[in-house]
Amino acid sequence: MRQLYEFLEQDNRSAGFARVAISTLAVLLVWQLVSMLVTNRLLLVPPAEVAAALVKEVESGAMWTNAVATVTAVVTSFIVSVAIGVAVGLALASSRVLSLTGGPVLSALNSVPIIALAPLFIAWLGLGFASKFVLVIMVAVFPVVVTTEAGLRATDKQLVEAARSFNATPLQIFSTVTFPYALPFIVSGIRVAWARALVGIVVAEFFGSFAGFGFAILSASQTFDTARVLGYVIMLGAMGLIGSVLFATLERRLAPWRQE
Amino acid sequence: MSDAIRLKVEKIDKVFKRRDKPSVEALRSIDMSVAEGEFVSIVGASGSGKSTLLRIIDGLIAPSGGRVLVDGRAVDKPGPDRAMVFQQDSLLPWKTVVDNVAYGLTLAGTRRADAERTAQRFIDIAGLQGFEHHYPHQLSGGMRQRVNVARALAVNPKILLLDEPFAALDAQTREIMQTELLSIWQETRKTVLLITHQIDEAVFLSDRVIVFSARPGTIREEIPVTLPRPRTLELKRSPAFVELVDHIWKLIEAEVRAGIKQS
Ligand SMILES: Nc1ncnc2c1ncn2[C@@H]1O[C@H](COP(=O)(O)OP(=O)(O)O)[C@@H](O)[C@H]1O
Ligand SMILES: [Mg+2]
Repeated sequence: MRQLYEFLEQDNRSAGFARVAISTLAVLLVWQLVSMLVTNRLLLVPPAEVAAALVKEVESGAMWTNAVATVTAVVTSFIVSVAIGVAVGLALASSRVLSLTGGPVLSALNSVPIIALAPLFIAWLGLGFASKFVLVIMVAVFPVVVTTEAGLRATDKQLVEAARSFNATPLQIFSTVTFPYALPFIVSGIRVAWARALVGIVVAEFFGSFAGFGFAILSASQTFDTARVLGYVIMLGAMGLIGSVLFATLERRLAPWRQE
Repeated sequence: MSDAIRLKVEKIDKVFKRRDKPSVEALRSIDMSVAEGEFVSIVGASGSGKSTLLRIIDGLIAPSGGRVLVDGRAVDKPGPDRAMVFQQDSLLPWKTVVDNVAYGLTLAGTRRADAERTAQRFIDIAGLQGFEHHYPHQLSGGMRQRVNVARALAVNPKILLLDEPFAALDAQTREIMQTELLSIWQETRKTVLLITHQIDEAVFLSDRVIVFSARPGTIREEIPVTLPRPRTLELKRSPAFVELVDHIWKLIEAEVRAGIKQS
């Protein structure tokens, strides 16, 4: 028991996998127990039934269709959000005037629940890719803008001075000091953006689309197919988890000195 | 040591103007020169403008008056003829030791392979063999300062500017670093201008010690150090050494004490 405990505390890959496995098992166990108490199958179904529903979706080909629709839409809009977010953050960090005038607008937009505008976007842009694209960008871009600007501004003055002492040009100062220093900040913004992008895509698909995980969840719940609803929610959860682990790892890789 | 003047500082003044606050006169009428291959130290109370003078010589900030000459030519911005080792940690934390040492060279456009070969030479001189691929956060304070010195030497400057390079180190490490700096200096024959608040460090290393007065910084006295070279740590226990340290301490004691009361 003691050995297991020490193993789980380690900071390596196999211990990490073991931790994820244990917490997944724990969730499944609790879920199983609760579903034995709550016997109304409209409200909750046990894990095994959800797994069976997922298998059925895969066999019918519906899983593949929905996955392609959701993943292509969310990945393209996410990549575009990151590109726009970094570009806007760069502009804000390089111009004081721009930051002072644009900053309040941005933080206002950032605190408005833009997701609530989903019905409007769909009315403007119609059902399909365009409305998903715009809605995801609108929710995912802000964390990247904010962390990019903050990261670029946080730069270590002493490192800039050392670079200047070696006769670095402004461009060299940017590429060898300011930007590498900001990179871990930017990646943490990207991690938040990915989580928001997933929320954005599901909501967009609820309101207007003919394929995708959000569409599938909505149509399953209209036929009271709780197993199928939970199955697709698990798919979304897995996408969120993968992104979060990936970006957290990247953040650590880029800034190993922050661990100490 | 030849008699050619490598570095000349002429009538340097520096006043820091600040918004909404009284301006600070950091330096007043500083005149000094350093011969080629000479090792000169500046000591003075904290806040007496030592770092400011070094930054002006390096070309990082402009003086309010006066000028700096290297080999007779006025300089007003950083250049490859001078390299600085800073008081604060200034290594790039995301670069390995070899990349940090090669940093100045790559900025100057040296090809990567050449830069790395040169870096390796100074890594060897600084006693950093085996740590080439470590990151700064994996090194002790003493090792990090060696990297800083190696990085400055790698660009092959004529003048090495050192701003309290060993201040953050413990006493034993500092003594070791002092003797290593001496042997590097003997090997590379650089002109060195070193700032320190440790009088014994200044005397041990230098051909000449310049004593600053407190704000505004002015030169109070220049003291030649004629102790024989090569010097070993035993020198620090000789009567001549102790006497010289004591003399300099008396020159600045009152100001250092006043400075302690102020802060
Ligand atoms: N950028 C600056 N703006 C305003 N005052 C400064 C600036 N840099 C240094 N000073 C002031 O100039 C004086 C000399 O500072 P410094 O050169 O760092 O002294 P030292 O290195 O001898 O301790 C101090 O009073 C300090 O507060
Ligand atoms: Mg200083």
